[in-house]
Amino acid sequence: MITAGLGLKSQHYADALGCDAEGLWFEVHPENYMSAGGPRLAALEAVRARRPLSLHGVGLSLAADADPDPDHLAALKRLVDRFEPFVVSEHLAWSTHRGAHQPDLLPFPRTHAALARIAANIGRMQDALGRRVLIENPSLYLPLTGHDLDEVTFLTALVEHTGCGLLVDVNNVFVSASNLGYAAEAYLDALPAEAIGEIHLAGHGADTGGSSLLIDTHGAPVAEPVWALYRRLIRRIGPRPTLIERDDDIPAFAILMAERDRAAAELSALEAVHA
Amino acid sequence: MPELLDFQDAFVAALAGSPSALSPWLAPGEGAAGLSVYRNTIAKGCVDALAANFPTVLSMVGEDWFRAAAALFAREAPPASAALLDYGEAFPTWLERFPPADDTPYLAGIAHLDRLWTEALFAAEAPVLTAEALAALPPEVLAETNLALHPSVRFASFEAGLPSLWVAAREGREDLELPDQPETLLLVRDKGAVMHRVIGNAETAFLRACGDGLSSAEAAGRAFEADPDVQLAPLFAALIARGAFMETAR
Repeated sequence: MITAGLGLKSQHYADALGCDAEGLWFEVHPENYMSAGGPRLAALEAVRARRPLSLHGVGLSLAADADPDPDHLAALKRLVDRFEPFVVSEHLAWSTHRGAHQPDLLPFPRTHAALARIAANIGRMQDALGRRVLIENPSLYLPLTGHDLDEVTFLTALVEHTGCGLLVDVNNVFVSASNLGYAAEAYLDALPAEAIGEIHLAGHGADTGGSSLLIDTHGAPVAEPVWALYRRLIRRIGPRPTLIERDDDIPAFAILMAERDRAAAELSALEAVHA
Repeated sequence: MPELLDFQDAFVAALAGSPSALSPWLAPGEGAAGLSVYRNTIAKGCVDALAANFPTVLSMVGEDWFRAAAALFAREAPPASAALLDYGEAFPTWLERFPPADDTPYLAGIAHLDRLWTEALFAAEAPVLTAEALAALPPEVLAETNLALHPSVRFASFEAGLPSLWVAAREGREDLELPDQPETLLLVRDKGAVMHRVIGNAETAFLRACGDGLSSAEAAGRAFEADPDVQLAPLFAALIARGAFMETAR
């Protein structure tokens, strides 16, 4: 049974292969494996031979006003065919603009026109891959105006229009709610439970630039208020594959596994309650 | 109505220093801190990728110099794709034209070798020509056969001894010197790791001829032209042992 997983970092390949934790799975960014060959792909193959894998895209730019890059989609399709992930996900964000790629997950006004464009892009992604994908809520830093829909309504509409599922990043909800001044609890309570296929937990930090913004750094342990929101969410929707994400200031594998084990314990405590 | 594209254009303009472009979507005086979060994240993503792809350059110039230069490069030449493992193809030639690098004219060459190393690491897989398979080829067939280079093979020649300097820096040696004589560096991925070796004129001529599609007899001729004293058998054996050639079609 798939319970709690860990973002797989290249420095942890050997640890990942040697770990025998029950229900453990791994997630990678497919962009880091979009090469013709080489040892990274071989290492991922070895890990995949022992563990379920999720491919979590960061670069397809579904919220750009352009079709998804066919080369990127084809490279993603090759990875999906080769590694047979149990989940494929992407972000409600954009990163490409007129041929240039900005390595970040950028915001947009949630208008009806944006909804139509992004739904079409998700449709193209699902058609190209021949499977359902999950879409992740972004972390937000700008008080944009001009939205026709709030984010939960927008995500729910994407689910209805495309048949996609949702990847709920609880840390992103916490960070965005803090930055833009809304209630994280109400946001989580309003998400359509049956659409949620995966949950992300990560750490955030204060803005070193001196503002009051929280930043989704993936460079710290999961914060206690985020654990509390996670517990609230899974008590409502039931257990879901849950990932500990860490992409910066990466500690030893055992330290990440301790966080992962905490998520696994939260999931099994839930089952004890429901049993 | 391309309102989403209008927004993207405005957002990119705001990132580049014209926050007023976003005025239809941002109240006056709002968003400066948020924009700088996005700006910093983008810059960090590009610079981290370049640091990963040009480790020898980084080790020679230090973290501060490298990150400042890489941030300038990223602004001029943002990634064309989300696969950042391939980012920085234009960085070596950009360094050639980067005035602060004038004092270190070898830097662009070092960057070029880092780039070739990355290309070797991520090149396609292909079956390797083994010594056994080679021995099974009748000599007259071998002479007529083009030994195609493995997709991971990269080599580059320099007027001065940049390859020795690159190797010394890569291996973390302190005594960095730039030898005067011309040198060629050979890179080839062997069992998942990129091997490097400074090679001579004959070996370079042999590899170049193979890469150009010439037969092994012609390639041997090129090697002798480059160095009449060359011992071809050990040269050839060393290349075979490293997996420099692809399995030939029978």
